[in-house]
Amino acid sequence: MSGKKIRVLMSKPGIDGHWRGGIVVSRAIRDAGMELIFGGFQNVEQIVESAIQEDVDVIGLSIHSGAHFAYTQQVIDLLKERGVLDNFMILVGGIVPAQDFSKLKEMGVANIYGPGSMTSDIVEFIKTNVKK
Amino acid sequence: MEKVFQFRNTSISPEETNKRWKFLYENGETGFSAAVDALTFNGIDPTNKDGAAEVGTSGVPLYCIDSLFALTEDIPIDKISVALVVEPFTSAPVCSMYFNMAQMRGYDIKQLMGTTQNDILTMTVGYIPYKNSPPNHILRLACDFIEWTVAMKNVPKWHPINFTGYNYREGGIDAVQELGFVFASACSHIDNLIERGWKADEFVGRLAFHLSAHKDFFEEIAKFRAARRIWYKLMNDKYEVKDPRNLGFRFHVQTAGSSLTAQSPKINIVRTAIQALEANLGGCQSLHTNSYDEAICLPSEEAVLVALRTQQVISDETKIHNTIDPFAGSYFIEWLTDEVEDRVWKYIDKIQKAGTIDKTLSSGFLYKEMRDAFHKRRMRLESGDEIMLGVNKYPVSYDTVTDVFRTNEEAINIEIRRIEKLKARRDNAKLEKILDKLRNVCEKEENVMPVVMEATKEGATVGEVCNIYREIWGTWDPPLAI
Repeated sequence: MSGKKIRVLMSKPGIDGHWRGGIVVSRAIRDAGMELIFGGFQNVEQIVESAIQEDVDVIGLSIHSGAHFAYTQQVIDLLKERGVLDNFMILVGGIVPAQDFSKLKEMGVANIYGPGSMTSDIVEFIKTNVKK
Repeated sequence: MEKVFQFRNTSISPEETNKRWKFLYENGETGFSAAVDALTFNGIDPTNKDGAAEVGTSGVPLYCIDSLFALTEDIPIDKISVALVVEPFTSAPVCSMYFNMAQMRGYDIKQLMGTTQNDILTMTVGYIPYKNSPPNHILRLACDFIEWTVAMKNVPKWHPINFTGYNYREGGIDAVQELGFVFASACSHIDNLIERGWKADEFVGRLAFHLSAHKDFFEEIAKFRAARRIWYKLMNDKYEVKDPRNLGFRFHVQTAGSSLTAQSPKINIVRTAIQALEANLGGCQSLHTNSYDEAICLPSEEAVLVALRTQQVISDETKIHNTIDPFAGSYFIEWLTDEVEDRVWKYIDKIQKAGTIDKTLSSGFLYKEMRDAFHKRRMRLESGDEIMLGVNKYPVSYDTVTDVFRTNEEAINIEIRRIEKLKARRDNAKLEKILDKLRNVCEKEENVMPVVMEATKEGATVGEVCNIYREIWGTWDPPLAI
């Protein structure tokens, strides 16, 4: 691993304003010494654009609206189209039912964090598994 | 307790919501609540690409007047009370659609009962707004609605605002902060209306409050008792109301969604029952009990019925309602009530020193308060200081067998077709003239309600009305703190 700090984009696809989870996780990521790029509300094009421009290692998608399949698929499709999908670890957090975890993983999501997740687990997972 | 309320977050379409409302009406429910989806909430039409995937996913889509007809079909709306969970940015268009629908069905809107959430803090710190206008305009829209419905007596039985401490409490603030936010915000609205020339007695009786029943059993009971004292003192000493009915603090309570777990969801039934008991012992006027699948998905029918019956066990089987304020005189509760009250007054003072409620938002003050609070709660949960069974004590994995309620992927097409039909029917030239009038009203900062009533009656969508606000007042990105 190089000396470069791990860079994480935290994004909120769509227009749903349930932001607490995204902010709490962002704080934990920053406190763990990683660099946080807080994307805020972003559409799919903006998410992919920021991820490339900011040269992040991890794309975090915070989704509480129930639209997790739609947004995650759109982000992955666009990353694939740009030929950069392998450059990023994708994490999804929010109100995601456990029965949806396996399908999200098949789509290419590295891990999913539902209600009650510990931020320490998220930090640990990123540090252990980030593609370097 | 006067009313049994259940959050009707069923979504899919107004038609599906209508079916569930009818089912619950037949099972004794007396109040209905329509939580809207993210697009309605933010005044975005379904034709906007940014929100397309969220049509109907987190609430019912109510984009135009036809949706309100579908929502209430075959329901005697003069016999029920409806809570429209929309905030100031969209309260005028969505509620005017309800009022227009009622008039077109032959009802007298002076007799209608219901509540509009219309709460500036819910849409700014409880939830982050998407392309809404700056807080000073949001505060004015909230006050326009109170003024037009109640002070001007157009819909005098309506609750034009519901100070929803519950929503920001869910964000992690404590019991003292919950009341501090609620009362500081209420004072800003009351002051605004008094500046417009109204007397407190002309509208305060219709202001509604929605508090949380959280995990700390005695503290929550003390909080409800302290809230009644604070309201009394504000009304009697500060606003000098004359009508004794306005001295009483009436409030709705919801059990704490953030105390529920996605792990072992049926344990949530126990948590919710205990919190419902706090609310009853604390003297709430109405109550919402959460469904046990709250942490996982929109409520399934079975979960909704369990939640409703939880309330009915308390109200119909325990006889605790035979005694008013049963904890009065208890050495511990009386001490705790004094303590909570004292701390709330100090916190109200701290907020008011930061400015009126819109200024505490635009300056970022309230965002920092929220940030610090939920960071602290997260630390307590991670360290185990605050226990959540199944999560940080006796942890179990997520339950995958619970029946998950899912929305229909056809939802967006249904809603787009609904709007297309409406647009083909309406008189677009006439509507353009009304929207021009609305531009003018927004620029002159007059009350928007009369012209928004005209606009939605002629078929303006919620998105079209909100786009005028955006055009004249601009949009606002909240100063989020991390």
